[in-house]
Amino acid sequence: MTITIALPSKGRMKDEASAIFERAGMKITAVGNDRSYRGRVEGWDGVEIAFLSASEIAREIGSGAVDFGVTGEDLVREGLADADARVEFSARLGFGHADVVVAVPEVWYDVDTMADLGDVAADFRARHGRRLAIATKYWRLTQQFFSGSHGIQLYRIVESLGATEGAPASGSADIIVDITSTGSTLKANHLKILSDGVILRSEACLVRARKASHDGNAVVDRIVAAVRGAL
Amino acid sequence: MPLINLPAFAGDLLADFERLKTLRVDTPVIQPAEPFLDMAGEDLRRRIFMTESETGESLCLRPEFTIPVCLRHIETATGTPQRYAYLGEVFRQRREGPNEFYQAGIEDLGDPDTAMADARAIGDAMLVLANRLPGERLTVTLGDQSVFEAVIAACGLPAGWQKRLIHAFGDQKQLERLLAELADQRSPGVFGPEVERVAILGMLEDEERLVAHIGKTMKATGYSTNASRSPRDIARRLKEKVELAATRLDKATLALMREFLALDLPLTDASAALHAFAGKAQLELGDALALFDARVAALAEVGADPGLIRYRAAFGRPLDYYTGLVFEIVVEGTPAVLAGGGRFDRLLTLLGAREHIPAVGFSLWLDRIEQAIAASGRAK
Repeated sequence: MTITIALPSKGRMKDEASAIFERAGMKITAVGNDRSYRGRVEGWDGVEIAFLSASEIAREIGSGAVDFGVTGEDLVREGLADADARVEFSARLGFGHADVVVAVPEVWYDVDTMADLGDVAADFRARHGRRLAIATKYWRLTQQFFSGSHGIQLYRIVESLGATEGAPASGSADIIVDITSTGSTLKANHLKILSDGVILRSEACLVRARKASHDGNAVVDRIVAAVRGAL
Repeated sequence: MPLINLPAFAGDLLADFERLKTLRVDTPVIQPAEPFLDMAGEDLRRRIFMTESETGESLCLRPEFTIPVCLRHIETATGTPQRYAYLGEVFRQRREGPNEFYQAGIEDLGDPDTAMADARAIGDAMLVLANRLPGERLTVTLGDQSVFEAVIAACGLPAGWQKRLIHAFGDQKQLERLLAELADQRSPGVFGPEVERVAILGMLEDEERLVAHIGKTMKATGYSTNASRSPRDIARRLKEKVELAATRLDKATLALMREFLALDLPLTDASAALHAFAGKAQLELGDALALFDARVAALAEVGADPGLIRYRAAFGRPLDYYTGLVFEIVVEGTPAVLAGGGRFDRLLTLLGAREHIPAVGFSLWLDRIEQAIAASGRAK
């Protein structure tokens, strides 16, 4: 059986992932030309590489269409219900660090914790005639964190696929849930992260689809061991 | 519209509803999704079936009847009091059981006699269930948020803490977390560095100066002062938060609250127990207990057997439009909730009604009732 590993198709994620695999003794070469979306691993028969976009990788691992993938933990946990039952985070790769955080306007002097935000959300409708609006592309992570961990249910999500940090100033939402690596974009938009508002500390991971056919498969174990050894 | 998957007892149930002097209404299966998400929160999104119209309006398959019935009442400007009955299919993504199933129920809108309307909702639900399940012993669990509200108000907590606790009522885990935090003498609350600065400038005591300062900061940082929370909202809540941080529950009050929340006893003993609790704790629970007593009396009047009802002090629903009574009915010794109901005095104004309309109602899970009937038949 062929084991398929999905890798990011471009950018720094692609370069860093390729470097780790090379250190792991799994040098990746593109099939055909450099821009090909398929690759192979020198000296590893029965392993093939599929170059995909990072969010596609999360979905393909979830459906089991590929066996392994390198992608951000945030995309996997956002994209899949019950992620831990469906995939295994085999190795954390030490790049692509980014936190998914809850951020509110700096000028909300009275809000520094999720409990504060809960108070504000509870009263919001009575004061403003609408629910507290959160701009985010992380629907699932937001819901799990707000209602699962903090008992906050009364808010509405405003979908935002780009420039989320600008939503509170422009008035299209009150607060945001977004990804940040250095915090500089948040700061530039006068937003602050709540003291207990880090939903997930994400980084690039080697993720394995939990498939019955992997049990006792030596190649699967060798891939995991090789990547772990290269970190 | 005769549907062949209707439960066999649907006709008898509707006849019961008619004898109970209700007006049967129907609502479209396809509903705007906004009111449901607005009332129940984003969590509902994963549990309903949503789609979009060509123009981008969010639509969903009817996940329940209360909101559509209330919206219909508001739109048709029907006068109150009015008792509605419904029976139809609802659609929800469930872990167990099919995704489409029948619900029926009664919504009682606008009756100013709270105690009597509450009692009638419980009595009607018990009656129609007893008619479907003759020979089975039903048990009712009853809770009352207004008694909880009276207890925490009487304990002398600041408004901010009262709101927090009331909001968590019915969510046992969250309530426990809040009580633990309230009792923790070391937990000072988290304040950002800006708060220290305005405190040093003496603005915390001077609301007008603080409001002006916040307004100026908003403008300077490109935030509109009216699109979201206003400078005054923030200033007032900051004051509330300083109070919250300064309030700690002493051991005696905490023990009192836990004692109250642990109350779980037959309704016939509940009034006496609540009065005894209030007396011992020296808490003034006046109106809430008067309503509780009046409801117990009204239950006897409508012929509901109080021996089947238990009062559980911690029982509630953590949704902000539920205001008082909540109840659930099961066949004794089984877990499936066959009927659930409660008082939602805030819902109609939240949905856009111009005047305050008190409301109470219940809904029946017809698929579970069918299973209970089948189980009852097997047992005999």
